[in-house]
Amino acid sequence: MAHDDHSAHHVNYLAVFVALCVFTALSVIFDLVSFSNHAITIVLVLAVAVAKALCVMMFFMHLKFEGNWKYVLLAPTTILAIGLPLALVPDIGVAYYTPLAPQAEWKAEMDSLHDSHGQSAGHSDHTGHVEEQAEVGHSDESGDGADHHEESHEAAPAEKAE
Amino acid sequence: MGIPIPNSKLGLWLFLGTEIMFFTAFIGAYIVLRIGSPGWPTDPKDTHILVLMGGINTFVLIVSSYFVVVAHEAMAKRDFSRARRYLPYTMGLAFVFLGIKSIEYYGKISHDILPSHIAETPTQAINKVDRELEQVVRQRFAVYTDAEAIDVAQPDDLATVSAQLDVFAKSEGGGDDAKSAIHDVALYRKWQNLHQHIVANVSLEKVPVATGPGYLAAREALSEGESLPALEYAEVKAELARLKSDTNYGGFVSAGVLDPHPVLYGNLFASIYFLMTGFHAIHVIVGMLLFARPLLQGNNLNEEWTGWVENSGLYWHFVDLVWIFLFPLLYIA
Repeated sequence: MAHDDHSAHHVNYLAVFVALCVFTALSVIFDLVSFSNHAITIVLVLAVAVAKALCVMMFFMHLKFEGNWKYVLLAPTTILAIGLPLALVPDIGVAYYTPLAPQAEWKAEMDSLHDSHGQSAGHSDHTGHVEEQAEVGHSDESGDGADHHEESHEAAPAEKAE
Repeated sequence: MGIPIPNSKLGLWLFLGTEIMFFTAFIGAYIVLRIGSPGWPTDPKDTHILVLMGGINTFVLIVSSYFVVVAHEAMAKRDFSRARRYLPYTMGLAFVFLGIKSIEYYGKISHDILPSHIAETPTQAINKVDRELEQVVRQRFAVYTDAEAIDVAQPDDLATVSAQLDVFAKSEGGGDDAKSAIHDVALYRKWQNLHQHIVANVSLEKVPVATGPGYLAAREALSEGESLPALEYAEVKAELARLKSDTNYGGFVSAGVLDPHPVLYGNLFASIYFLMTGFHAIHVIVGMLLFARPLLQGNNLNEEWTGWVENSGLYWHFVDLVWIFLFPLLYIA
Protein backbone atom coordinates (compact mmCIF):
# COMPACT_ATOMS: atom_id res chain seq x y z
CA MET A 1 0.00 0.00 0.00
CA ALA A 2 1.56 3.28 -1.07
CA HIS A 3 1.47 5.92 1.63
CA ASP A 4 3.82 8.57 0.27
CA ASP A 5 0.90 11.00 0.17
CA HIS A 6 0.75 11.04 3.98
CA SER A 7 4.41 11.73 4.63
CA ALA A 8 4.42 14.63 2.14
CA HIS A 9 1.68 16.62 3.90
CA HIS A 10 1.56 16.93 7.63
CA VAL A 11 -1.89 17.82 8.85
CA ASN A 12 -2.50 19.10 12.34
CA TYR A 13 -5.49 16.89 13.06
CA LEU A 14 -5.92 18.29 16.55
CA ALA A 15 -6.37 21.80 15.16
CA VAL A 16 -9.01 20.53 12.73
CA PHE A 17 -10.75 18.73 15.61
CA VAL A 18 -10.81 21.90 17.71
CA ALA A 19 -12.23 23.82 14.74
CA LEU A 20 -14.97 21.19 14.40
CA CYS A 21 -15.85 21.48 18.09
CA VAL A 22 -16.08 25.25 17.78
CA PHE A 23 -18.38 24.93 14.76
CA THR A 24 -20.61 22.44 16.61
CA ALA A 25 -20.86 24.74 19.60
CA LEU A 26 -21.69 27.61 17.21
CA SER A 27 -24.59 25.79 15.64
CA VAL A 28 -26.06 24.93 19.06
CA ILE A 29 -25.64 28.59 20.10
CA PHE A 30 -27.36 29.75 16.91
CA ASP A 31 -30.29 27.53 17.81
CA LEU A 32 -30.52 28.76 21.40
CA VAL A 33 -30.34 32.42 20.35
CA SER A 34 -33.67 32.56 18.54
CA PHE A 35 -33.47 35.11 15.74
CA SER A 36 -36.41 37.23 14.61
CA ASN A 37 -36.82 35.08 11.52
CA HIS A 38 -36.30 31.36 11.87
CA ALA A 39 -35.00 31.24 8.28
CA ILE A 40 -31.90 33.13 9.46
CA THR A 41 -31.17 30.38 11.97
CA ILE A 42 -31.58 27.73 9.29
CA VAL A 43 -29.24 29.49 6.87
CA LEU A 44 -26.57 30.09 9.52
CA VAL A 45 -26.75 26.56 10.87
CA LEU A 46 -26.54 25.02 7.39
CA ALA A 47 -23.56 27.27 6.59
CA VAL A 48 -21.85 25.96 9.72
CA ALA A 49 -22.71 22.41 8.62
CA VAL A 50 -21.08 23.02 5.23
CA ALA A 51 -17.97 24.38 6.97
CA LYS A 52 -17.78 21.30 9.20
CA ALA A 53 -18.29 19.02 6.23
CA LEU A 54 -15.44 20.71 4.39
CA CYS A 55 -13.14 20.27 7.41
CA VAL A 56 -13.93 16.56 7.61
CA MET A 57 -13.68 16.00 3.86
CA MET A 58 -10.55 18.05 3.21
CA PHE A 59 -8.48 17.06 6.22
CA PHE A 60 -9.82 13.94 7.91
CA MET A 61 -10.64 12.27 4.61
CA HIS A 62 -7.48 13.77 3.13
CA LEU A 63 -9.19 15.03 -0.01
CA LYS A 64 -7.17 18.24 -0.05
CA PHE A 65 -4.12 16.23 -0.95
CA GLU A 66 -5.62 13.79 -3.38
CA GLY A 67 -5.54 14.04 -7.14
CA ASN A 68 -8.11 15.26 -9.61
CA TRP A 69 -10.00 11.98 -9.47
CA LYS A 70 -11.87 13.41 -6.50
CA TYR A 71 -13.68 15.81 -8.86
CA VAL A 72 -14.58 12.98 -11.22
CA LEU A 73 -16.18 11.22 -8.26
CA LEU A 74 -17.83 14.09 -6.46
CA ALA A 75 -19.13 16.12 -9.40
CA PRO A 76 -21.86 13.65 -10.50
CA THR A 77 -22.92 13.02 -6.93
CA THR A 78 -23.12 16.75 -6.19
CA ILE A 79 -25.09 17.39 -9.36
CA LEU A 80 -27.56 14.68 -8.41
CA ALA A 81 -27.68 15.78 -4.78
CA ILE A 82 -28.65 19.34 -5.70
CA GLY A 83 -30.50 18.56 -8.90
CA LEU A 84 -32.97 16.07 -7.47
CA PRO A 85 -34.50 18.39 -4.85
CA LEU A 86 -34.49 21.25 -7.33
CA ALA A 87 -36.38 19.10 -9.78
CA LEU A 88 -38.95 18.11 -7.16
CA VAL A 89 -39.51 21.52 -5.60
CA PRO A 90 -41.86 22.80 -8.34
CA ASP A 91 -43.99 19.68 -7.97
CA ILE A 92 -44.12 19.10 -4.24
CA GLY A 93 -42.53 22.12 -2.63
CA VAL A 94 -44.58 24.87 -4.22
CA ALA A 95 -48.37 25.02 -4.23
CA TYR A 96 -49.93 26.74 -7.26
CA TYR A 97 -53.39 25.70 -6.13
CA THR A 98 -54.93 24.44 -2.91
CA PRO A 99 -53.07 21.20 -2.23
CA LEU A 100 -55.11 18.00 -2.29
CA ALA A 101 -53.39 16.59 0.80
CA PRO A 102 -55.90 16.10 3.65
CA GLN A 103 -53.58 18.03 5.93
CA ALA A 104 -54.27 21.15 3.91
CA GLU A 105 -57.91 20.97 5.02
CA TRP A 106 -56.99 20.07 8.57
CA LYS A 107 -54.65 23.04 8.93
CA ALA A 108 -57.52 25.42 9.63
CA GLU A 109 -58.86 23.11 12.34
CA MET A 110 -55.42 22.77 13.94
CA ASP A 111 -54.77 26.51 13.77
CA SER A 112 -58.02 27.25 15.57
CA LEU A 113 -57.17 24.61 18.17
CA HIS A 114 -53.83 26.27 18.85
CA ASP A 115 -55.44 29.70 18.97
CA SER A 116 -58.17 28.70 21.40
CA HIS A 117 -55.74 27.00 23.73
CA GLY A 118 -53.19 29.79 23.55
CA GLN A 119 -50.32 27.69 22.18
CA SER A 120 -50.49 25.44 25.23
CA ALA A 121 -51.92 22.51 23.29
CA GLY A 122 -48.74 20.49 23.70
CA HIS A 123 -48.23 18.77 27.03
CA SER A 124 -46.18 16.09 28.65
CA ASP A 125 -48.31 13.07 29.25
CA HIS A 126 -47.68 12.51 32.91
CA THR A 127 -48.71 15.75 34.57
CA GLY A 128 -52.21 16.71 35.58
CA HIS A 129 -54.00 19.03 33.22
CA VAL A 130 -55.25 21.51 35.73
CA GLU A 131 -54.89 24.49 33.42
CA GLU A 132 -56.63 22.64 30.60
CA GLN A 133 -59.61 21.82 32.81
CA ALA A 134 -59.98 25.50 33.61
CA GLU A 135 -60.51 26.21 29.93
CA VAL A 136 -63.17 23.55 29.49
CA GLY A 137 -65.90 26.13 29.10
CA HIS A 138 -64.58 27.23 25.69
CA SER A 139 -67.30 27.62 23.16
CA ASP A 140 -65.41 29.23 20.32
CA GLU A 141 -64.89 25.92 18.57
CA SER A 142 -68.34 26.13 17.02
CA GLY A 143 -66.63 26.50 13.67
CA ASP A 144 -65.10 23.07 14.24
CA GLY A 145 -68.48 21.56 15.07
CA ALA A 146 -69.28 21.07 11.41
CA ASP A 147 -65.96 19.30 10.87
CA HIS A 148 -66.53 17.09 13.89
CA HIS A 149 -69.97 16.25 12.55
CA GLU A 150 -68.71 15.08 9.17
CA GLU A 151 -65.69 13.22 10.44
CA SER A 152 -67.46 11.38 13.23
CA HIS A 153 -70.29 10.44 10.89
CA GLU A 154 -67.66 8.77 8.80
CA ALA A 155 -66.39 7.09 11.94
CA ALA A 156 -69.91 6.09 13.04
CA PRO A 157 -70.70 3.56 10.27
CA ALA A 158 -67.25 2.06 10.83
CA GLU A 159 -67.97 1.78 14.55
CA LYS A 160 -71.40 0.23 13.97
CA ALA A 161 -69.97 -2.25 11.49
CA GLU A 162 -67.75 -3.72 14.23
CA MET B 1 -0.42 5.16 -15.24
CA GLY B 2 -3.78 5.16 -13.47
CA ILE B 3 -4.85 6.77 -10.23
CA PRO B 4 -2.07 6.67 -7.59
CA ILE B 5 -4.17 5.08 -4.88
CA PRO B 6 -4.72 1.42 -4.03
CA ASN B 7 -7.72 -0.32 -5.57
CA SER B 8 -9.36 -0.76 -2.20
CA LYS B 9 -9.32 2.98 -1.56
CA LEU B 10 -10.71 3.74 -5.01
CA GLY B 11 -13.37 1.11 -4.53
CA LEU B 12 -14.34 2.59 -1.21
CA TRP B 13 -14.54 6.10 -2.64
CA LEU B 14 -16.80 4.86 -5.45
CA PHE B 15 -18.97 3.24 -2.80
CA LEU B 16 -18.98 6.49 -0.81
CA GLY B 17 -20.13 8.26 -3.97
CA THR B 18 -23.16 5.99 -4.08
CA GLU B 19 -23.73 6.48 -0.37
CA ILE B 20 -23.70 10.24 -0.87
CA MET B 21 -26.43 9.84 -3.47
CA PHE B 22 -28.31 7.52 -1.10
CA PHE B 23 -28.43 10.03 1.73
CA THR B 24 -28.89 13.13 -0.38
CA ALA B 25 -31.92 11.45 -1.92
CA PHE B 26 -33.55 11.17 1.50
CA ILE B 27 -32.38 14.57 2.66
CA GLY B 28 -33.57 16.13 -0.59
CA ALA B 29 -36.93 14.41 -0.23
CA TYR B 30 -37.19 15.69 3.34
CA ILE B 31 -36.41 19.26 2.27
CA VAL B 32 -38.94 19.16 -0.53
CA LEU B 33 -41.68 17.55 1.55
CA ARG B 34 -41.12 19.99 4.37
CA ILE B 35 -41.23 23.06 2.12
CA GLY B 36 -44.49 21.72 0.73
CA SER B 37 -46.07 21.19 4.14
CA PRO B 38 -47.14 24.48 5.71
CA GLY B 39 -47.69 23.82 9.41
CA TRP B 40 -44.80 21.37 9.80
CA PRO B 41 -44.27 20.63 13.51
CA THR B 42 -41.27 22.44 14.95
CA ASP B 43 -42.31 22.82 18.59
CA PRO B 44 -40.31 20.39 20.76
CA LYS B 45 -43.52 19.69 22.68
CA ASP B 46 -44.88 18.17 19.47
CA THR B 47 -41.76 16.55 18.07
CA HIS B 48 -39.97 15.62 21.31
CA ILE B 49 -36.68 16.47 19.64
CA LEU B 50 -33.92 17.45 22.02
CA VAL B 51 -31.30 19.67 20.42
CA LEU B 52 -28.88 19.02 23.27
CA MET B 53 -28.97 15.26 22.66
CA GLY B 54 -28.34 15.80 18.98
CA GLY B 55 -25.52 18.22 19.75
CA ILE B 56 -23.86 15.74 22.10
CA ASN B 57 -24.17 13.04 19.43
CA THR B 58 -22.57 15.35 16.89
CA PHE B 59 -19.69 15.98 19.28
CA VAL B 60 -19.36 12.23 19.98
CA LEU B 61 -19.06 11.45 16.27
CA ILE B 62 -16.55 14.24 15.67
CA VAL B 63 -14.35 12.99 18.51
CA SER B 64 -14.58 9.45 17.16
CA SER B 65 -13.59 10.70 13.69
CA TYR B 66 -10.59 12.41 15.23
CA PHE B 67 -9.59 9.23 17.04
CA VAL B 68 -9.82 7.23 13.80
CA VAL B 69 -7.53 9.70 12.08
CA VAL B 70 -5.04 9.45 14.95
CA ALA B 71 -5.20 5.65 14.79
CA HIS B 72 -4.61 5.64 11.04
CA GLU B 73 -1.74 8.10 11.28
CA ALA B 74 -0.21 5.87 13.94
CA MET B 75 -0.55 2.82 11.71
CA ALA B 76 1.08 4.66 8.80
CA LYS B 77 3.99 5.48 11.11
CA ARG B 78 3.99 1.81 12.24
CA ASP B 79 3.17 2.84 15.82
CA PHE B 80 0.78 -0.07 16.27
CA SER B 81 0.45 0.16 20.04
CA ARG B 82 -0.88 3.71 19.64
CA ALA B 83 -3.30 2.50 16.98
CA ARG B 84 -4.41 -0.31 19.28
CA ARG B 85 -5.24 2.34 21.88
CA TYR B 86 -7.24 4.69 19.68
CA LEU B 87 -9.29 2.17 17.73
CA PRO B 88 -11.15 0.96 20.86
CA TYR B 89 -11.84 4.62 21.75
CA THR B 90 -13.56 5.03 18.39
CA MET B 91 -15.55 1.86 18.92
CA GLY B 92 -16.55 2.97 22.40
CA LEU B 93 -17.76 6.33 21.14
CA ALA B 94 -19.81 4.55 18.49
CA PHE B 95 -21.55 2.69 21.29
CA VAL B 96 -22.15 5.99 23.10
CA PHE B 97 -23.72 7.41 19.95
CA LEU B 98 -26.06 4.45 19.62
CA GLY B 99 -26.87 4.67 23.32
CA ILE B 100 -27.93 8.31 23.09
CA LYS B 101 -29.87 7.51 19.93
CA SER B 102 -31.75 4.74 21.68
CA ILE B 103 -32.64 7.10 24.53
CA GLU B 104 -34.08 9.46 21.93
CA TYR B 105 -35.95 6.64 20.20
CA TYR B 106 -37.36 5.47 23.52
CA GLY B 107 -38.66 8.97 24.18
CA LYS B 108 -40.37 9.03 20.81
CA ILE B 109 -41.86 5.55 21.16
CA SER B 110 -43.17 6.19 24.67
CA HIS B 111 -45.04 9.23 23.34
CA ASP B 112 -46.29 7.13 20.42
CA ILE B 113 -44.54 9.40 17.93
CA LEU B 114 -44.45 6.73 15.28
CA PRO B 115 -45.51 6.82 11.62
CA SER B 116 -49.27 6.17 11.29
CA HIS B 117 -49.81 6.41 15.07
CA ILE B 118 -50.10 10.16 15.40
CA ALA B 119 -53.39 12.00 15.46
CA GLU B 120 -53.24 15.06 13.21
CA THR B 121 -56.48 16.82 14.14
CA PRO B 122 -58.51 17.16 17.36
CA THR B 123 -61.09 14.73 15.98
CA GLN B 124 -58.44 12.12 15.25
CA ALA B 125 -57.07 12.66 18.75
CA ILE B 126 -60.52 12.07 20.25
CA ASN B 127 -60.92 8.85 18.25
CA LYS B 128 -57.47 7.75 19.38
CA VAL B 129 -58.40 8.25 23.04
CA ASP B 130 -61.55 6.20 22.38
CA ARG B 131 -59.56 3.34 20.83
CA GLU B 132 -56.88 3.31 23.51
CA LEU B 133 -59.43 3.38 26.32
CA GLU B 134 -61.27 0.48 24.70
CA GLN B 135 -57.98 -1.44 24.69
CA VAL B 136 -57.53 -0.77 28.40
CA VAL B 137 -61.05 -2.08 29.08
CA ARG B 138 -60.39 -5.17 26.98
CA GLN B 139 -57.13 -5.83 28.82
CA ARG B 140 -58.86 -5.49 32.19
CA PHE B 141 -61.67 -7.83 31.15
CA ALA B 142 -59.21 -10.35 29.73
CA VAL B 143 -57.80 -10.82 33.23
CA TYR B 144 -61.11 -12.38 34.24
CA THR B 145 -61.93 -14.26 31.06
CA ASP B 146 -58.42 -15.72 30.80
CA ALA B 147 -58.47 -16.90 34.38
CA GLU B 148 -61.98 -18.24 33.69
CA ALA B 149 -63.29 -16.51 36.76
CA ILE B 150 -66.43 -15.89 34.74
CA ASP B 151 -67.90 -17.98 31.97
CA VAL B 152 -68.61 -16.19 28.70
CA ALA B 153 -69.17 -17.62 25.27
CA GLN B 154 -67.52 -14.67 23.53
CA PRO B 155 -64.81 -12.92 25.59
CA ASP B 156 -64.55 -10.17 22.96
CA ASP B 157 -68.12 -9.02 23.48
CA LEU B 158 -67.54 -6.32 26.05
CA ALA B 159 -71.20 -5.76 26.90
CA THR B 160 -71.79 -9.41 27.81
CA VAL B 161 -68.55 -9.68 29.75
CA SER B 162 -69.39 -6.53 31.65
CA ALA B 163 -72.83 -7.85 32.57
CA GLN B 164 -71.32 -11.14 33.79
CA LEU B 165 -68.61 -9.28 35.71
CA ASP B 166 -71.25 -7.17 37.39
CA VAL B 167 -73.03 -10.29 38.61
CA PHE B 168 -69.70 -11.82 39.62
CA ALA B 169 -68.68 -8.75 41.57
CA LYS B 170 -71.89 -8.59 43.52
CA SER B 171 -72.02 -12.29 44.26
CA GLU B 172 -68.44 -12.81 45.45
CA GLY B 173 -69.16 -10.97 48.65
CA GLY B 174 -66.25 -8.57 48.90
CA GLY B 175 -63.20 -10.60 47.88
CA ASP B 176 -60.27 -8.93 46.11
CA ASP B 177 -61.45 -10.20 42.74
CA ALA B 178 -64.89 -8.76 43.29
CA LYS B 179 -63.49 -5.38 44.30
CA SER B 180 -61.39 -5.00 41.21
CA ALA B 181 -64.25 -6.33 39.08
CA ILE B 182 -66.50 -3.52 40.36
CA HIS B 183 -63.93 -0.94 39.29
CA ASP B 184 -63.39 -2.54 35.92
CA VAL B 185 -67.11 -2.54 35.24
CA ALA B 186 -67.21 1.11 36.29
CA LEU B 187 -64.39 1.88 33.85
CA TYR B 188 -66.23 0.02 31.11
CA ARG B 189 -69.33 2.12 31.73
CA LYS B 190 -67.28 5.32 31.59
CA TRP B 191 -65.75 4.22 28.30
CA GLN B 192 -69.18 3.23 26.92
CA ASN B 193 -70.49 6.67 27.75
CA LEU B 194 -67.54 8.39 26.10
CA HIS B 195 -67.78 6.12 23.07
CA GLN B 196 -71.47 6.81 22.60
CA HIS B 197 -70.88 10.55 22.81
CA ILE B 198 -68.10 10.30 20.25
CA VAL B 199 -70.18 8.26 17.83
CA ALA B 200 -73.16 10.60 18.19
CA ASN B 201 -70.88 13.65 18.32
CA VAL B 202 -72.71 15.26 21.21
CA SER B 203 -71.27 17.24 24.06
CA LEU B 204 -70.26 15.21 27.12
CA GLU B 205 -71.27 17.94 29.50
CA LYS B 206 -74.37 19.40 27.91
CA VAL B 207 -75.94 16.11 26.77
CA PRO B 208 -75.46 13.68 29.68
CA VAL B 209 -76.64 10.52 27.93
CA ALA B 210 -76.04 9.86 24.25
CA THR B 211 -78.26 6.84 23.93
CA GLY B 212 -81.68 5.64 25.01
CA PRO B 213 -85.21 7.10 24.90
CA GLY B 214 -84.32 10.40 26.58
CA TYR B 215 -81.68 11.16 24.00
CA LEU B 216 -83.86 10.11 21.09
CA ALA B 217 -86.64 12.33 22.40
CA ALA B 218 -84.23 15.26 22.62
CA ARG B 219 -83.26 14.69 19.01
CA GLU B 220 -86.92 14.47 17.97
CA ALA B 221 -87.54 17.78 19.69
CA LEU B 222 -84.99 19.57 17.52
CA SER B 223 -86.28 21.84 14.81
CA GLU B 224 -84.96 21.81 11.26
CA GLY B 225 -81.34 22.92 10.98
CA GLU B 226 -80.81 22.66 14.74
CA SER B 227 -78.45 20.15 16.24
CA LEU B 228 -77.46 19.11 19.71
CA PRO B 229 -74.25 20.71 21.01
CA ALA B 230 -71.24 19.00 19.44
CA LEU B 231 -68.53 17.13 21.28
CA GLU B 232 -65.55 19.34 22.00
CA TYR B 233 -61.91 18.34 22.18
CA ALA B 234 -61.44 20.08 25.52
CA GLU B 235 -64.27 18.03 27.04
CA VAL B 236 -62.61 14.75 26.05
CA LYS B 237 -59.30 15.96 27.49
CA ALA B 238 -61.03 16.87 30.74
CA GLU B 239 -62.87 13.53 30.90
CA LEU B 240 -59.62 11.65 30.33
CA ALA B 241 -57.96 13.65 33.10
CA ARG B 242 -60.80 12.71 35.44
CA LEU B 243 -60.46 9.02 34.52
CA LYS B 244 -56.72 9.14 35.10
CA SER B 245 -57.10 10.68 38.52
CA ASP B 246 -59.56 8.06 39.73
CA THR B 247 -58.06 6.13 42.62
CA ASN B 248 -59.37 2.78 41.46
CA TYR B 249 -58.77 2.47 37.75
CA GLY B 250 -56.72 5.62 37.18
CA GLY B 251 -53.48 3.66 37.09
CA PHE B 252 -54.67 1.43 34.24
CA VAL B 253 -55.95 4.38 32.26
CA SER B 254 -52.71 6.32 32.73
CA ALA B 255 -50.67 3.33 31.60
CA GLY B 256 -52.78 2.60 28.55
CA VAL B 257 -53.95 5.96 27.23
CA LEU B 258 -51.71 8.84 26.21
CA ASP B 259 -52.98 12.38 26.59
CA PRO B 260 -54.43 13.52 23.27
CA HIS B 261 -51.91 15.57 21.32
CA PRO B 262 -52.76 16.21 17.68
CA VAL B 263 -49.81 17.24 15.55
CA LEU B 264 -50.38 18.38 11.98
CA TYR B 265 -48.04 16.52 9.58
CA GLY B 266 -46.91 14.50 12.60
CA ASN B 267 -46.96 11.19 10.73
CA LEU B 268 -44.89 12.55 7.85
CA PHE B 269 -42.44 13.99 10.35
CA ALA B 270 -42.15 10.71 12.27
CA SER B 271 -41.72 8.73 9.07
CA ILE B 272 -38.92 10.99 7.84
CA TYR B 273 -37.25 11.18 11.24
CA PHE B 274 -37.11 7.41 11.75
CA LEU B 275 -36.11 6.73 8.14
CA MET B 276 -33.16 9.11 8.14
CA THR B 277 -31.86 8.48 11.64
CA GLY B 278 -32.56 4.76 11.26
CA PHE B 279 -30.54 4.44 8.06
CA HIS B 280 -27.79 6.50 9.65
CA ALA B 281 -27.78 4.24 12.71
CA ILE B 282 -27.53 1.18 10.43
CA HIS B 283 -24.50 2.79 8.80
CA VAL B 284 -22.99 3.37 12.24
CA ILE B 285 -23.44 -0.32 13.02
CA VAL B 286 -21.77 -1.28 9.74
CA GLY B 287 -18.87 1.01 10.64
CA MET B 288 -18.58 -0.71 14.01
CA LEU B 289 -18.41 -4.08 12.26
CA LEU B 290 -15.63 -2.71 10.03
CA PHE B 291 -13.64 -1.64 13.08
CA ALA B 292 -14.24 -4.95 14.84
CA ARG B 293 -11.95 -6.84 12.46
CA PRO B 294 -8.71 -4.94 13.23
CA LEU B 295 -9.72 -4.80 16.89
CA LEU B 296 -10.05 -8.58 16.96
CA GLN B 297 -6.45 -8.87 15.74
CA GLY B 298 -5.36 -7.68 19.16
CA ASN B 299 -1.58 -7.61 19.43
CA ASN B 300 -1.26 -9.05 15.92
CA LEU B 301 -2.24 -5.73 14.36
CA ASN B 302 0.42 -5.04 11.77
CA GLU B 303 1.06 -3.03 8.60
CA GLU B 304 -1.16 -5.35 6.56
CA TRP B 305 -4.12 -3.76 8.30
CA THR B 306 -3.14 -0.17 7.48
CA GLY B 307 -5.25 -0.13 4.32
CA TRP B 308 -8.25 -1.62 6.12
CA VAL B 309 -8.02 0.93 8.90
CA GLU B 310 -7.66 3.76 6.40
CA ASN B 311 -10.69 2.64 4.40
CA SER B 312 -12.77 2.01 7.52
CA GLY B 313 -11.76 5.46 8.66
CA LEU B 314 -12.94 6.96 5.37
CA TYR B 315 -16.28 5.18 5.76
CA TRP B 316 -16.52 6.43 9.34
CA HIS B 317 -15.81 9.99 8.28
CA PHE B 318 -18.63 9.69 5.80
CA VAL B 319 -20.98 8.52 8.57
CA ASP B 320 -19.87 11.58 10.56
CA LEU B 321 -20.48 13.77 7.51
CA VAL B 322 -24.05 12.54 7.12
CA TRP B 323 -24.77 13.27 10.76
CA ILE B 324 -23.23 16.74 10.40
CA PHE B 325 -26.00 17.46 7.91
CA LEU B 326 -28.76 15.50 9.62
CA PHE B 327 -28.28 17.36 12.91
CA PRO B 328 -29.15 20.86 11.66
CA LEU B 329 -31.83 19.61 9.27
CA LEU B 330 -33.72 17.47 11.77
CA TYR B 331 -32.93 19.05 15.12
CA ILE B 332 -32.50 22.75 14.49
CA ALA B 333 -34.43 23.58 11.33
